[in-house]
Amino acid sequence: MKWNDSLNIAITSLKINKTRSFLTILGIVIGIASVIAVISVGEGAQTLILKQIMALGPNNVYIEPGPLDIQRTNMRGGEMAQQLMEGMGVKTLTLKDLEAIEKDPLVERVAPIVTMVSRVIYQNNDKRATIFGTTPAYNQIFNVQTILGSDFTDFDVQSRAKVAVLGYKISEDLFKEENPIGKTIRIKETNFKVIGVMEEQGGQSFLSFDEQIYVPITTAQEFLLGINYVQSSIAKIISQDKIEEAMETIRLILRERHNIYNPEGDLSKDDFKVISGKETAEMMSTITDILTLLLSSIAAIALVVGGIGIMNIMLVSVAERTKEIGLRKAVGARKKDILYQFLMESVVLTAIGGVIGILMGILFSYLLGIVMTMSLEIQWYYVISPSSIILALSVAAGIGIIFGIYPSRKAAELSPIEALRYE
Amino acid sequence: MLFEIENLYKIYGNHSVKTPALQGVSFKVAEGEFLSIMGPSGSGKSTLMHIMSLLDRPTQGKCKFEGKSIDDFDDDELARIRNKKMGFVFQSFNLLPKTSVFDNVRLPLVYTDFPKETQKEMVRQSLKSVGIFHRASHFPNQLSGGEQQKTAIARAIVNHPSVIFADEPTGNLDSKAGEQIMGIFQRLNDEGHTVILVTHERYTALMAKRMILLKDGKIVSDELVKSRRYAQDGLIK
Repeated sequence: MKWNDSLNIAITSLKINKTRSFLTILGIVIGIASVIAVISVGEGAQTLILKQIMALGPNNVYIEPGPLDIQRTNMRGGEMAQQLMEGMGVKTLTLKDLEAIEKDPLVERVAPIVTMVSRVIYQNNDKRATIFGTTPAYNQIFNVQTILGSDFTDFDVQSRAKVAVLGYKISEDLFKEENPIGKTIRIKETNFKVIGVMEEQGGQSFLSFDEQIYVPITTAQEFLLGINYVQSSIAKIISQDKIEEAMETIRLILRERHNIYNPEGDLSKDDFKVISGKETAEMMSTITDILTLLLSSIAAIALVVGGIGIMNIMLVSVAERTKEIGLRKAVGARKKDILYQFLMESVVLTAIGGVIGILMGILFSYLLGIVMTMSLEIQWYYVISPSSIILALSVAAGIGIIFGIYPSRKAAELSPIEALRYE
Repeated sequence: MLFEIENLYKIYGNHSVKTPALQGVSFKVAEGEFLSIMGPSGSGKSTLMHIMSLLDRPTQGKCKFEGKSIDDFDDDELARIRNKKMGFVFQSFNLLPKTSVFDNVRLPLVYTDFPKETQKEMVRQSLKSVGIFHRASHFPNQLSGGEQQKTAIARAIVNHPSVIFADEPTGNLDSKAGEQIMGIFQRLNDEGHTVILVTHERYTALMAKRMILLKDGKIVSDELVKSRRYAQDGLIK
């Protein structure tokens, strides 16, 4: 028997039961479309995050206090993210450490950071904002300019000046039409004089610069937090190909300053972490990978349900056509001819479902991208990778074979006499 | 010899309940014969035909087709032999619904290696030979019973088989259509086809050249038909 004869028989039989075939195909369409859409959203999210991390500066290195957990020296991205959060409470990194690092020729600038979230009050207006205690290096590293007034200076840092520079949006929220320069805002019982407003960065970052308030780090340490250490810091390296070298240099400087004897460079012995933007990106993509996998598994359930639908309909088809199977066997069909005939039928069902599902999935992903862009006010990246289409197609074909094989074998094993006698 | 049946037994059922359908049947069929196997229902005639047509296997005894025992073949090889050398006509026609007369007749050829054009030519010849060519593109539900059975006969002879099995071919037809169908079988036999007919009607059985009478799984008589009946309306319209 030729394969195109099998195909013709399969198509004819599917045409005879149009509604039934349509509903069965629909099950596969939904499954495949949701897998495609979920993978697309996952990849879109990943692209978005990676672009933002890279936008923050490919030359940047993050220096964080606190050791790598000994139990987790082989940890993966997800755990790394957790550690970054935990590192906030560790007191081992000081401004003096960072000043020493900034003197290294490989390092262009170092911005120490302490942060807190607090209410900010101006007259009757009351907003929550992220307060960044840092130095002028911060806005220089990210190349953000003021549109009103000016950024605070190194002198402001040394003198613990109570001055603040506002992000664009927080400034609008607090001052509306008013000129904020020279006005006084209140953060945690302390009055700050507004000396500048930063230019608008656009709402496309999860680290929304526009909603941050910058104050000198010394002021924040003393008046807002009551601490004398640094929670985090960003160092800008002179060039991208010097990053590895610079990271090692920074580690050596800190080991010496912290009296850590660690000639073998065992990172778990350090009381600090030096992480590159690239590593941060990898860590974030691990997180989105996990999310994508999780969501795809849920979508895959829809696919399995579709497959069960195929099996069900194939069993019905075999039962209905028992007599036909008997006849075909009587006139010379071998077991494998019957097997292929029914297998072809289920593969045709899933293949049609697969192709329509892919088209629907692409459409869904596209629409989702539009919705995301509008609702989250971000530039969504619409990604359909060829690998997800190949995956979906092979999964569809696989389902056709896996869920078709049992009914098809049942048909192939029928005894011709009993099948002919069947009414 | 086309068929050599030796001491054939077929027993249905399991260890506790055994139902014998054939109990020691022996006979031979030469090429070109027109044999009718007759008997009341339950006599084992269908079982015998199933074994001869390689659809079933005996419990005991030998069934040789063209000198070779069917025990020597597996199911797929038997399917090949049926495909090349046997034709089947059933009481209830067994045409595929929603499939044209042409494609119904082509069915056995689907399982051969003939090129498509050869297949089509074989189908056309076969349709012409039973006088149903003008209905080639019709569907079975648009045909009369007689026309449906003619289609089935065309399907049975499309592969130029050496033997045609007909299981109660007139059972679902009125007498006129039945007569016509029997006429076709007689003509096919005259043209050299071996025909093995299973029937419970003496009237139909008498149209064969030889008649085997079965009862309770045993041969009661095996003789040539002395006053053979010829179908009155054997001409094809």
